[in-house]
Amino acid sequence: MAKVALEQLNKRYGAVPAVIDVDLAIAENEFVVLVGPSGCGKSTTLRMVAGLEDATSGTIRIGERVVNGLAPKDRDIAMVFQNYALYQHMTIYDNLAFGLRNRRVPEDTIRREVARAAEILGIGDLLARKPRQLSGGQQQRVALGRCIVRHPQVFLFDEPLSNLDAKLRAQMRIELKRLRERVATTSIYVTHDQVEAMTLGDRVVVMRDGRILQQATPLEIYNRPANRFVAGFIGAPAMNFIDVSLARNDGRLAAEAEALRIRVPEEQAAVLERQPAQALTLGVRPEHVLIGDPRPENGTGFDAAIEVTEQLGAELLVGVRVAGTIVIASRIDPWAKLGLHQKIRLSLDPRGLHFFDRESGEALR
Amino acid sequence: MSAPAIVAQGAPARIVGVLAPGGRAALIVLAALAIVLLFLGPIVILVVTSLRPGWAVYYIYRGTAFTLQNYLDVFARPAVVRAFVNSFVLATLATVLSLGITVTSGYMLSRFDGPIPRTWFGTIYLFRTVPYISWVLPLYLVDYYFGVYDTFAGILLPHIAVHICFFSWIMKGFFDGIDPSMEHAAMIDGCTRWGAFRRVALPAAIPAIAALAILSWLYTWNEFLFALILTGHNTALITVTMAQFVTELGTAWNLMSAMAVLAMVPAVLVTVFAQKYVIRGLRI
Repeated sequence: MAKVALEQLNKRYGAVPAVIDVDLAIAENEFVVLVGPSGCGKSTTLRMVAGLEDATSGTIRIGERVVNGLAPKDRDIAMVFQNYALYQHMTIYDNLAFGLRNRRVPEDTIRREVARAAEILGIGDLLARKPRQLSGGQQQRVALGRCIVRHPQVFLFDEPLSNLDAKLRAQMRIELKRLRERVATTSIYVTHDQVEAMTLGDRVVVMRDGRILQQATPLEIYNRPANRFVAGFIGAPAMNFIDVSLARNDGRLAAEAEALRIRVPEEQAAVLERQPAQALTLGVRPEHVLIGDPRPENGTGFDAAIEVTEQLGAELLVGVRVAGTIVIASRIDPWAKLGLHQKIRLSLDPRGLHFFDRESGEALR
Repeated sequence: MSAPAIVAQGAPARIVGVLAPGGRAALIVLAALAIVLLFLGPIVILVVTSLRPGWAVYYIYRGTAFTLQNYLDVFARPAVVRAFVNSFVLATLATVLSLGITVTSGYMLSRFDGPIPRTWFGTIYLFRTVPYISWVLPLYLVDYYFGVYDTFAGILLPHIAVHICFFSWIMKGFFDGIDPSMEHAAMIDGCTRWGAFRRVALPAAIPAIAALAILSWLYTWNEFLFALILTGHNTALITVTMAQFVTELGTAWNLMSAMAVLAMVPAVLVTVFAQKYVIRGLRI
């Protein structure tokens, strides 16, 4: 168990930057998730920590040691790969024992460690088989086992659940959480799946184009996104965005777009007053778009026609056209009688309004 | 009137439609049969010829005289026996000596980038684009100046070079098909880069390497052009010796066929016994 610190980490492939000025401090036993679209530099960052890629500049510290120049085998880390990366020609037992044998651990200690890992992961009856004979979920369990037998300083996960089908992925996500409790270790987890990021991470780090856009707890990321990209990336269905301009109406600030006038709540109005930018984007999550207008005094109601509905069984998603874009409302009673093209009254929850500078995408707050 | 006939009248252009569905299967079987016959025909003729007395070779449809005498005659010639021994030793040595380099260089081409792999790749590419036959004359001169013409080394070294050139390429393809993250896992698990290759990538590539060994062995065993130009009486090989049954006094087709059948034996054995292995290797 150790701290991990990345300081001004950069990686270039020729002239192409892949990772730019990444600063990240990870506490002991903290579980940090790097999340972002493909090509955002999250995997490259992880591979630099592993030593599979050399950093172009910057420092990587594991514990108190600077590990930049060290080979992967000397960094005391373990890694789980997307495609499991099991040694195909060895049995499961030998796969689990491989790392320990390389460290000249006595064979009876190895037997004990393998048995412990097999017990934790429920793969005890598979030890004599070859990887090819296992299902994807079982293979990924073995890959996890290969990590925990070694008691490394840091676990690295490179999209470990991406190759599994949706149902198994949900199941493995829960198992990973359980595993965390039994084998607490500093962990860096890379994924493009925002659900994994939200559910697994103590802290979520959102990356794009090689840079860190925001790092915070899952709730903080969800409720106070630092910019439009983070706001749109985290959360499903995704946040609605409407281009608006500010106008003064009866002495109160309002965000206006075609056929839409939303009164800005006091607190945010104070912030927006100070902003020079007039071109804004209003962001609102689907669960903050309400059917009906229970509190007209908020001044957030508007009329729109239903363009699309999606029945999910537990809830109904309704899409209406507002100011040229489709705005999705979620958490609607699935039994609600709502027909296509029907005109309905909606309102926005004033606590769920986010304002972004349309140019830079930065959150205004 | 039956239903297929109606279809045939309605759409005369669609042959497949006329034949569907049983007819289509029959057509495929017939086509496959035709192709098999096309390839099998020469071999049948070769085997039959090898079993005919010399006087009956041209009259395959006449008598029913068959004999094994040709095989005995062929083996009675010391030159033929020597050629078989030479070819066997050459093919085996060339394969054994080239394989290590082929495998490692294929691995390098697959996994590494940089000036050395790129130059190596370019060199192989260049050699492969030049017509094979155009190497022979320069090689003859090289052999001549080094004083190894018509010696074992004089034919072995070019064969090793050809193996490395041709088969590094194939080996690269094999390694491209093996997921490199397995080696990365090994490096994290305590192996050096070389250790990851030796202990993880190499065992995973064994079917491919076996296939490659068979391919290179058969390549040298069957090779004619180098053998013709770079060898003489001292190091006669089967392919050239076989051709020597064509003389000014006529061609001993029966003897030549007998020798050809014997020369085919290794390939047949491989096909029968190592087929699965080779196919698995080629699929990687």
